[in-house]
Amino acid sequence: MLKHIFILGAALFCSTAIAEQRPIFDAHIHYSHDAVKLVPPEQVAKILRDAGVRKALVSSSDDNGTQLLLAAAPDIVVPALRPYRRRGEINTWMHDETVIDYLEENLTKNDYEAIGEFHAYGDDIKTPVIQRMIALAKERNLILHHHGDREAVDLIFETWPEARVLWAHSGFDDPASVVDALDTYPRLWADLAFRSDMVSRGSIDPNWKAAFEAHPDRFMVGTDTFAPERWYYVGPHADFSREWLDLLPDQIADNIAYANAERLLASQ
Amino acid sequence: MKLWFTAALIALAGAVRAEVLLSADEIEQTLSFGPWPPSFHSDPSNRVSNNARAIALGEALFNDPVLSVDGAFSCASCHDPEQAFTTPEARALGRVLLDRNTPSLQNLAGLRWYGWGGKSDNLWAASLHPIIEEQEMAHNADSLKTAISESTYIDEFEVLFGDIQVQDSELVLVNIAKTLSAYLETLATDQTQFDAFRDALENQDLAAAVSYPEAAQRGLQLFIGRGNCVLCHNGPRFSNNEFHDAGVPYFLNETEVDEGRFGGLNFLLSSPYTLDGNWNDDPNRQGAWAVRNVRRNHSDFGTFRTPSLRGVSETAPYMHNGSLSDLNAVIRHYSKIDTERLHADGEAILSELNLSEQEIADLVAFLVTLSKELY
Repeated sequence: MLKHIFILGAALFCSTAIAEQRPIFDAHIHYSHDAVKLVPPEQVAKILRDAGVRKALVSSSDDNGTQLLLAAAPDIVVPALRPYRRRGEINTWMHDETVIDYLEENLTKNDYEAIGEFHAYGDDIKTPVIQRMIALAKERNLILHHHGDREAVDLIFETWPEARVLWAHSGFDDPASVVDALDTYPRLWADLAFRSDMVSRGSIDPNWKAAFEAHPDRFMVGTDTFAPERWYYVGPHADFSREWLDLLPDQIADNIAYANAERLLASQ
Repeated sequence: MKLWFTAALIALAGAVRAEVLLSADEIEQTLSFGPWPPSFHSDPSNRVSNNARAIALGEALFNDPVLSVDGAFSCASCHDPEQAFTTPEARALGRVLLDRNTPSLQNLAGLRWYGWGGKSDNLWAASLHPIIEEQEMAHNADSLKTAISESTYIDEFEVLFGDIQVQDSELVLVNIAKTLSAYLETLATDQTQFDAFRDALENQDLAAAVSYPEAAQRGLQLFIGRGNCVLCHNGPRFSNNEFHDAGVPYFLNETEVDEGRFGGLNFLLSSPYTLDGNWNDDPNRQGAWAVRNVRRNHSDFGTFRTPSLRGVSETAPYMHNGSLSDLNAVIRHYSKIDTERLHADGEAILSELNLSEQEIADLVAFLVTLSKELY
């Protein structure tokens, strides 16, 4: 009897611990062709649930991965359309006009919340392919998940001033430069995927802390599952995120963990 | 007449081939791979480092199954001294099939990190973990103390460390690991054909340098040139001893991966056996700055320590999981590397080399000279 009470108590403790875990909106997930072959969608869905990821912005090369995962976890997956059929196209896609056919075909067939993550630097934004892609996003009021430099961000907003842009990896820029970009563009958000410079050995970097305080409603976390094995980093990454977010005031931590991403999706 | 002409042609061709192909810059880079062997410095974190008794006891224990809880195997079972302190299996076989290839144990003195994932920052800790790892020797500190107390090694142990009965079991474990470490420090590869070439260049002894095969020289030029292998495989050990994604898949099975440096760092940062811990015998804590300051990065996941290339032709198969059977396969892996696996904003140190068959053969010829002993 005592044993049963203990087990029940342990189970309650565990469920309480899970319930108290800060939810995560993972704003930078890929489920690309090679991952589809090696990690089945049901396994991916389990990884996300086990990690306490309640929503994930998913884009894949090609889009098949996103659709498979959407079917396996419709409550979690927020679909985005990536302009790549294979991940290796990240440096060449903006010069490939067939990308437009690929985008139009998928946009007609499926529903998306965003286009991206796409890689573009500087004048890449001026290429006809990217200009057309931005136009397609504008027609449907889709978020642009952009991986690139500040110059490209400037050109995206020059092309479409009302765009909602999620800046992947915060441009791998320093906190002050990220703040400057966020100051300049009220409709720019920034994900922190594949960055760990916000925290070191249990302390938040003061420059990043200042950035989060200056723009508590604009940052979000993301894992970036760029290779199939990285799916097994989703859980550790969620733990890492909760650990460093705990060092911030609760409101800011909740914002970065999930609320900012949810508000971005709800915005027009 | 015809025979004389043929002999002259061969001699002439030999004379033409016998030259140093390297530019001044390449010679300068080549000198950075030596001198070899490096001078020995005893390990201040190990009070029995460079102690002849400890070295002898460490060697005996290394070869004795007393260090496994049931006497099933010794360190040498996997780190076979007759096979460059490794074995030819892709993945080591402990009590179960382990996750990684058995690394050779030569040239380990003075490294900053040990193991494929760098879970230790000193050689005695790296020697300690397999003793208590359940899938390997499977001792705990108490069972090890009993085993040593009842073994023929007890007298030597007590000469070195005093009465075992008054020692806490964990202290016995650390002391045993330190004797193993004292032995392992002595395992160094000899001067090789490459070292003779390198030293000849340093001494400007072209007559000696020209005996180094041209194929190996061309391979060396690729190694430090277009191949840029030297970026990670540098210094006298041909390793920067840091952690990188070499584009090798790291699935263990359908639902598990080898976390590499990520797991190693987690282990290291919670280990009591680091240079920053109480088991370090060095009051000055030399080298502890590394474990105090090392930072976690997302890029740690699935990265593995750059192995030394000294003695490399004797330690097949290769990579952290032994997935590449020979040097030719390793060169081909880098020649056709799948850069799609690598992060777009990662280290960007690898790209497809698209080497010709001749270039592959030249690189292998060079690597073999890092093993081929001088005499």
